[in-house]
Amino acid sequence: MATNLTQYAHPEALVETDWLEKHLKDESIRIVESNEDVLIYDTGHIPGAVHIDWRADLQDQVIRDYITPEKFAELCSKNGITPDTTCIFYGDKANWWACYALWAFRLFGHDRVKILNGGRDKWKAEGRPMTKERSTYPRANYSVPKKRFDKEIRAFADEALAQSKSGKPLIDVRSPGEYKGEVTHMPEYPQEGVLRGGHIPGAKSVPWKTAANDDNTFKSADELTKIYIDNAGVKPGTETVVYCRIGERSSHTWFVLTYLLGLDNVRNYDGSWTEWGNKVGAPIEKGA
Amino acid sequence: MYPQKLNKIINLFETLPEEERRETIVSYSENAKKQEPRKDEQFDLVDVRKDEECMDTVGVYLHVDENGEAHIRMTLGPEVQTLTRAMTAILCKGLEGCTPQEILDLPSDFVTRIVGTELVRIRSQTIYYVLTRIKGICKVYLDRQRMAEVA
Repeated sequence: MATNLTQYAHPEALVETDWLEKHLKDESIRIVESNEDVLIYDTGHIPGAVHIDWRADLQDQVIRDYITPEKFAELCSKNGITPDTTCIFYGDKANWWACYALWAFRLFGHDRVKILNGGRDKWKAEGRPMTKERSTYPRANYSVPKKRFDKEIRAFADEALAQSKSGKPLIDVRSPGEYKGEVTHMPEYPQEGVLRGGHIPGAKSVPWKTAANDDNTFKSADELTKIYIDNAGVKPGTETVVYCRIGERSSHTWFVLTYLLGLDNVRNYDGSWTEWGNKVGAPIEKGA
Repeated sequence: MYPQKLNKIINLFETLPEEERRETIVSYSENAKKQEPRKDEQFDLVDVRKDEECMDTVGVYLHVDENGEAHIRMTLGPEVQTLTRAMTAILCKGLEGCTPQEILDLPSDFVTRIVGTELVRIRSQTIYYVLTRIKGICKVYLDRQRMAEVA
C-alpha cells in the first residue's frame, strides 16, 4: 500500500513507485540510480535511469573530498540534467547511496531532488519494468555552481568535536556494536576496520535502520518524531550532526531529519568514523 | 601457472576494453545460477554459511571424482553482489577438473587481471571471497584425506 506522503514535512521530497512508473517519460525529471554494488545498474535498472557512481562520479579521486563545481556541472550536463531538472534518486541497500548522492547534489545547490520511497528493491519486488539499455540524453548546459554548500549541510571533524563539547544533538547511525566499540567495523564489512572502536562523546545511538520499514520505505512521520525528537533528543531549531563510517548511512538519516521531519540545520559529518576512529587526538567514548 | 581453463578466461578479459570487460563480468554474474548443484548430484563436502565478509549466504559443494579431479558447485543468496556472482561463475568454470591441491596452490593475483583495477575498491572487496571459500573446502578435503591415510 502506498504511504500517505502528506504526513511528512516535505512530501515533495518523496515519490512512490507507482507514481514513478507513470512518469517514466516525464522530461522534467531525471531518474538517477546510485548503488553500493558497483555493477548492479548494468544488470538492469529503471527505464530511463542514469547511473551516478558515488565513488567514481561524486568523489575527487585524489583528495578525500567531493568533486569540484566544474566537474559537477560536467557530470550533470553529460546526463542531460539542467538546474531545473528534478532528480529522483534510488538505489540498492535501502537507498543509502541514493540519499548520499542526493546530499551531494545539495552540496552543489541542486535543490530539485527527491527519493524513490523503497528504492531499487521495492521497485523490483513489485515487478515493475527494468531494462539493461543504458540511458543517454542530449547534452545539457549546466552552469558551474558558484559555491558548494558545505557550511550548510556538511560537518567536518572540528565541527563534530564542537558539537560534542556543546552537548548539541549528535546522532551515531551505525550498528549498536560499532557504537559501543565492540567491533571496529560494520557487520559484513570487516575490511573497513579502524584503529579504535566507540563513538564521539555525547553521541546518541540511533541506527539508520530505525527509520526504515522492512520494505525499505520510510517509517511514518509520527514514528520518526518519536524516534528522533522524543527519544534521541533532537530538537527543532537546534543544530544536529549525524555520522556513520563514511557518510552514506548518515545521509539516509540526514534525509529523514531534513525532509521528512523538516528540521533545519542538520549536517552530515561524512568523514565519520573512518576519520574519527583513526584521528590523532580525537576523544572517544565506549559502551552504551 | 594457472589452470588451462582459467587461463583462457584471464586472457579473454585482458584483451577487453573497459566497457566490454564490465559487460562480460555482468554476463558471467548472470550465469552464477547455473553453478548450483544439479538434482541427484553427490558431494564429498558441503559448506553452506553466512560469513561477515559477504552480504548473504554462500554454499560451496565439492565432489572429487575417481581421477582426483574437483567439481565445484555453488549457491548464492539474493543479496550477494554482482562481482561476487561473476567470480562464482568464472571460478566454477575455470577450476573445473583441477585437483584440490592445484586449487589450494592457486595464487590470487589473477583476480585483478579479470576484474580490472577500476572495480576493486571500497565496498567491492568481496571479489576474493569466493576464491577463499573454494580454497577453504579444498583444504578441508585434503586434511581429511591425509588424516585418513595416517589412520
